[in-house]
Parts: sequence; structure tokens; C-alpha cells
Amino acid sequence: MSLVTHWLKPTTTVYAHCDVPCGIYDPHQAELAARTVARMVELLGQLPKENPTEADRQKFVRCVAVKEQHAEIVKHEIQVIWSDYFKPEHLERYPDIHDRTWKILKLASKNKQNIDAQAAAELEAAVKEFADIFWSTKK
Amino acid sequence: MSIADTWRRLRRGPWRVAVAEESMTPALEPGDWLLLDPAPRRWPRRGSVVVVRQPGTGQLAIKRLAAGPGDVVLAGTEYVKLGDEAWLLGDGGGHSVDSRHYGPVPLDALVGRAWFRYWPPRRIGLIPRRRASSARARASIASKGKLRK
Repeated sequence: MSLVTHWLKPTTTVYAHCDVPCGIYDPHQAELAARTVARMVELLGQLPKENPTEADRQKFVRCVAVKEQHAEIVKHEIQVIWSDYFKPEHLERYPDIHDRTWKILKLASKNKQNIDAQAAAELEAAVKEFADIFWSTKK
Repeated sequence: MSIADTWRRLRRGPWRVAVAEESMTPALEPGDWLLLDPAPRRWPRRGSVVVVRQPGTGQLAIKRLAAGPGDVVLAGTEYVKLGDEAWLLGDGGGHSVDSRHYGPVPLDALVGRAWFRYWPPRRIGLIPRRRASSARARASIASKGKLRK
């Protein structure tokens, strides 16, 4: 390297940090969260319906809390990919992205409101399809 | 300022830095090479671009100074009057990691003020001061009237 470029080259890197490591998107987090929602619904279904013990009640509350948190994570992660990653050219290939996103958000809310195995399974499937679309745009 | 003094200041901190990541676009792009005014003794004026040691991680971060000592900012849900601190924001709207995450930054975290871009050639020039631009940034800088309530 010439002396001139050696002198010009910065000595230090400074970071203009973003919360999404820029340009790096991954639907995995959303899939994991949707899976968690489904698992919580499953665990809730296993709790005794009558005469719950103290431990059962505690587990019930915890599972509901985790279910709602993870449904919220699904909403957040899907929204970030939808608003920040998808570009008009992706929309040309997949014109239903908006509709799919909207439905996932609705489904996630439904999963927050209810303990519903059917809704949880639908959410998981919808997020999986969303992720498949995401990865197909990377090819 | 004597030449020896200038030399000492240049020795104290980095004065040529490269930008990484995108929270300062379009003012600064990743890959830009900047000159710093190193080791300033106080916060520069509002709208300046500064390099600080990020609270918590200690990594060097480049952000815009949205508010300085004496200004009132909305930190989360409450108004805070800044002491010898600054409120730093990225230009890039909602995605920047900045004072909204780590709060006001103390003076001793200040590394320098970025004042000149010397690379790439087509964008060589002074780095202008400007208002922190995102809507959220504007919303988070409170008017002084609000504190009195």
C-alpha cells in the first residue's frame, strides 16, 4: 500500500448503529415465536380443568403470559420484515404479501385473546408460508 | 492554539474514522471517511455529528446531537433536563440505536465532533449541522414550556 493511502485510511471505525443489523432480516424469530404460542396452547390444554392446585394456577398464568408475549413477538418480527425488507419488486412476484401480513397480525391477536389450538396452528402455518416467501426472494 | 497543543489533541483521540452501518443515512453513508475534531472539552452545538463511546457497550458510535446541556428532552415518558449531557439520535428514523435506548450521554463519553468528509471524492465536504430529522426525534425534544407544567 502506498504511503499516501496509508496516511489517508481511517484508523478507527465508528458505528451508526441500527436495531436491525442493517440489511439482515430473518423470519426465524417469528417462526420460533409462533411455535412457542402453539406449544403454550398445548401446555394450557394439559392443565386440569377442575380443582387446580397452586402449582397448576401458577403454570396457567405463566403459559398465558408467555403465549401473549410471543404472539406479540410474531407481530413485531413480521411487521419489520414486511415494512423494511419487502420491496415493490417482491410485491410484483408475490402480490398477496400485504394480505398475508395483515392476516398473520390478525391471527396473532386472536391467539393473544384466546386459548385456541386451531388458531395457533393456523398462525404457525401462516408464518411458515411467510418465511418461505421471504427465503424465495433471497434466491 | 499552539501547534504543540493541536498536536497533543490529535494524539489523544482518533481523527480519521470510517463509518459503518446505516442509521445516519443519507447524511453519512457506510464507508464514508471522516475527519474528527478530537477531544473537545464540551458538547458542540445542536445538530452537530458526534462520535461517542456508547454507554453500556463502549463501542464508538456516531450520532447527531439532538439536544445538549440545559435542554429538556422527553426520555421515555418523562421530561428530563440535561446536565452536562447530550441527547443523541440517529438520522434514520425509528431504527437507530441511540439515546432512546441508552438515555443521555455524559460528556466524558464524547470522543469527537465529525466535521469533514474526505472520502468518497464525489461527496467531499464539510458535514453540515442540522436538525435531528426524524419525526420521532422532533417529538422527543420537548419545548421548555412543557417542563414547567
